[in-house]
Amino acid sequence: MRYDSVLDMIGDTPLLRLDPAVHGVPDAQILLKLESANPFGSVKDRVAWALLRDHIGEIAEEGRVVLEASSGNTAKALQIIASMHGVGFRAFTNRVRVREVREMLTLLGTDVTEMPGLSECPDPTAPNDVFGVIGDLMDGEPGRYHHTSQYTNEDNLRAHYEQTGREIYRDVGPVDLLVGGLGTTGSTRGAATYLRERNPQTAVVGVVAAEGDFIPGIRSAAEMWEVGLFEPGFYDAITVVDSADAIVASLELATRHGVLAGPTTGAAYAATRERLLSESVAGSRRDGPVTAVVIACDRMEPYLSYFRHRRPDLFGAASDPATAEAAPMAAPEDVEAWIAAGEHVVVVDVRTALAFRAGHIPGAINLRDDLLEQILEAGMPFSEASRVVFACPTGDRSARFAARAAATGRQAYNLAGGVLGWRDSGRPLAGV
Amino acid sequence: MSARHPLPAARHPIAARLLGDPAAVAGVIERFGSPIHVVFPQVMAENAAALTAVLDRHEVPHEIFYAHKVNASTRFLAQACAAGLGVDVASAAELDRALAAGFAPDRIEATGPKSPALIERIAALGVTANADDLWELDRLAAVAPRGSSVPVLLRLSGFASPLVPLSRFGIDLADVDAALETVRRARGLELRGVAFHLDTADPTARVDALTESMTVVAAAYGKGLRPSVVDIGGGFRQRFVDDPEPFQRYSQALATAAPEELVWPGYDLAAPTAHKYGNHRPATDVLERFLTAEIERRPVAEVLRECMLTLWLEPGKALVDHAGITLASVLYRKRAAGRDLVVVDLSRNQVTPADQEVLVDPVLVNGTGDRPGEGVFLAGRLCLESDLISRRKVFLESEPRSGDVLAFVNTAAYQMDLSASSAGGHPPPPKVAAFLEGERFTFVPDDIHGS
Repeated sequence: MRYDSVLDMIGDTPLLRLDPAVHGVPDAQILLKLESANPFGSVKDRVAWALLRDHIGEIAEEGRVVLEASSGNTAKALQIIASMHGVGFRAFTNRVRVREVREMLTLLGTDVTEMPGLSECPDPTAPNDVFGVIGDLMDGEPGRYHHTSQYTNEDNLRAHYEQTGREIYRDVGPVDLLVGGLGTTGSTRGAATYLRERNPQTAVVGVVAAEGDFIPGIRSAAEMWEVGLFEPGFYDAITVVDSADAIVASLELATRHGVLAGPTTGAAYAATRERLLSESVAGSRRDGPVTAVVIACDRMEPYLSYFRHRRPDLFGAASDPATAEAAPMAAPEDVEAWIAAGEHVVVVDVRTALAFRAGHIPGAINLRDDLLEQILEAGMPFSEASRVVFACPTGDRSARFAARAAATGRQAYNLAGGVLGWRDSGRPLAGV
Repeated sequence: MSARHPLPAARHPIAARLLGDPAAVAGVIERFGSPIHVVFPQVMAENAAALTAVLDRHEVPHEIFYAHKVNASTRFLAQACAAGLGVDVASAAELDRALAAGFAPDRIEATGPKSPALIERIAALGVTANADDLWELDRLAAVAPRGSSVPVLLRLSGFASPLVPLSRFGIDLADVDAALETVRRARGLELRGVAFHLDTADPTARVDALTESMTVVAAAYGKGLRPSVVDIGGGFRQRFVDDPEPFQRYSQALATAAPEELVWPGYDLAAPTAHKYGNHRPATDVLERFLTAEIERRPVAEVLRECMLTLWLEPGKALVDHAGITLASVLYRKRAAGRDLVVVDLSRNQVTPADQEVLVDPVLVNGTGDRPGEGVFLAGRLCLESDLISRRKVFLESEPRSGDVLAFVNTAAYQMDLSASSAGGHPPPPKVAAFLEGERFTFVPDDIHGS
C-alpha cells in the first residue's frame, strides 16, 4: 500500500487473532491490537500525532518548543514529528530506565531533562512533580513553549476513542474484555469508551506493576492510586502483574504466536489469560465464546537490556553454581602478599558506585556486576599478566566472575569473605 | 442544620473489641476512674513484628530502637524489651526507665540534646550516643573513660537535597570533618555510624539523605574509623483512618464552609497536621517504599547490604500506632455561644499533643440514643476558655448523655504524655495496660514510676 506521508501510516493497525490451540483458554478468542505496527513503533504514535496534528503548523510558525513529560514512546514519537516539522522538543522525566530507549532518544537528538525522584504524572500532592517544573518553565517565558500534556489532554483519549476503539469494533464487533497497561490510561479509557457504547457489558481491565517492581511504560499500583490520575470506577479490575510474569508472557507471545511485543504487552496478555482462565474455571462466563482484546502497545526489541537485566539466564549468563564454586579463592592476606611482592593486582569491586564510594579496598576499581556482565559479553578485559581479584560484599556475587575469568586463563580469584570480611578483619577501607 | 462531616477513626481489632464491650469499659472506669489511658502492649508487639517482617523480607541487617519519648508507659518499655527491640531515650529520666525495664546499655541509644550529667552517664554506661552537636561530642570525648569504646552515631543535618526537610537537630555536613576528628582523637569513643531522622513519608527524601550520608562514611573510613551503622530514625507515620475519603471531604468542607460552621470561633484549623490524619497507609508501607526505592537502579535494601551497613530505626509513633485509647466520662450537655457542647471529664492537654487539633472523632461507648444531626464541640473540665478538647465540631454516632463514656481512639503516640499538665489539680490521667487473653481482657496498672 502506498503512502505519501509517514504520518498517514499512523493508526489502522492489525488486529491479530491468536490461535486458540496455542493460547489454551477454552471458549475464548484473544485478539492482539498490534499498535506496534505504527510507524514509530508504538501506540504512542497515535497520541503524539493527535496531540500535535492541529497545532504543529502554528507551533512551527511561532517557533515554539514542544514540552512533554515522557521517558519513552511518547517522547520518541513527539520528537520525530517535531523534527519532521522543524520544531524543537524537550522531554522531562523522572528517569529513563531502559537503555535502548535512552539511546534512541539520544540518536534522535531529544533534549531530555531527567529529574530523579520527581513524579512524572501530575501529582496534586507533590509540590515538585515534573508538571510543576514544566509549568514554571512556561510561566517563565510565556509563548515560548507548547505543552502537549499527554496525561491531561483530552486529545489523548479522543485518539483512542475515535481510532483505536472504532477500529477494534469494526474488525471484531462487540468485545467482552479489553485489557491494556496503565500509563496515561489514555488507550484503555479511550478505546473502552467507544466499545462500551456498542456493548455496555465490555469489561475493562487495567494492568499495573507491583509496587517496587518495574515494567516499562506502565505505572505501579501505588503510583496510580496516589496520583489520582484515573477513575478507578471506570475499570472492572486493576490487575497487578509482576515483571517476571510479564517477561515470560512476552516470550510466549514471541515464540508461540510470532508476535514480538514488549513487556507491557506481555503483562497485559498474562493478565488476560489469567482472568479468562479463572472465569472459565469458576464457570462465571456467559454463554458463548468470549472475545478479548489485548492492546499490544509496542515491540520487543527496544527492551533487550530490560530482559537481560531481569533474566540474565536467557542470555547465557547463567550463574552456574558449579562454575561459581569452582572459582579460585584469595584470602585478604594472599592479596596483601601479592601486592607486597610487587605483583600487579587488580581488585574489581562489583558493587554499586555509592557503596564503592562509601568504602572500598584501597586501589580497587569499580565495575558494577551488571555492567561487568555486559563487558564480559564483549570479551575479557583483564591482562593475563595481572592477578584479578573480584570482590562483592560477602563473596557470593563475585564468584561467578572469578570463575569466568579463570576459565579464560586469567589469574582470577574471588575474595574470600568479601569486602565485609576485609573490613571486619580490621583492614583499611578507602572512601571517595 | 449543617451537613454531617464525621471523621471515623480506624480501630485496631483489640480496641474495637474493648469498645464493643460496654461492661468491660464500665469496669475499667469503676476500677481506675475517669479519665483513664488504656494501652495495648499486644498491639505494640504486632507493630514491631510487622516492621521486622518487612526488614527480614528484604534481608536487611537491622536493629529497631523503640523511641520511648512517644509514651511514658512502662508496659510499652517492658514489651519492647521482651520483643528484643532496643530503646531510644531522650532524657536521663527515660534512661532510668529503660534500665529499670531491663534493657542492657548496649541496647540503649540516647538521642536529642543531652545535659552534661546525661553525657557522663552515657559514657559511664557505654550507651550509644546519637550526637546532636559538636559540643556534645567534645563533652563525650572528655568524659569517656580511656580505653573504653563508647559507641557514637553522628546525627547529620544540612543535606543539600531540597527534598530533605530542614532540621534543627544534628551536625551540619559542613562540620562533619571536625566531628570525625573529635571521635578519632578521643581515647574512649568508637564511631558506630551515621544517623538522620526525616519526618516525611517520602522515600526519595530518605534516599537522598542516605546517599549524602555515604560521603561521611567514606570520610570516616579515610580516618581509619569503622562505621557499621546507618540510622534513619523514625517518622514512619501512623494510620488513623481506614479510608482517606471522609478526611478529604472534611478538608474540602473546611475550605468552603463558613468557618463557624465547623470550627469554634477564633480558631483556625488550616491543617499543618492534615497529612497525618488523612493517612491510610501503614508504617510498613513507608518502610517498604524506602527499601524498594532505587539508588543506581538497585533497591535501597540491596545498596544497604552493599554498603555493609546495619540499618537502625527509631520508630515511636509507628510502634504504638493503635496501641492505646483514652476513656473519659461525659459530665453534661450544654448549649453556649449558640453551639452544642459536651463537657467531658478530661482536659485538652491530656489527650492532645502540642495543642494540635486531633482530626478523628471519638467514639461514644454503648451509645444508644439517636444519631444527632448536628456536630458538637467537646469541652474540657478546666476553667479556661481554651480548654476545648475539640475546637472543631465532632460528629458522634449517638446522642451523648451524662455518665456516658467517650473513647478517644489511637492516643498512644504523644497524645497521652507530650503536653499533659496537672492544671487545676487534675493530675494526668493514670494508665492501665489491657491484655486480651482468650476472650477476656485483664487490666494491669501502668503508672508505677520509679521504684
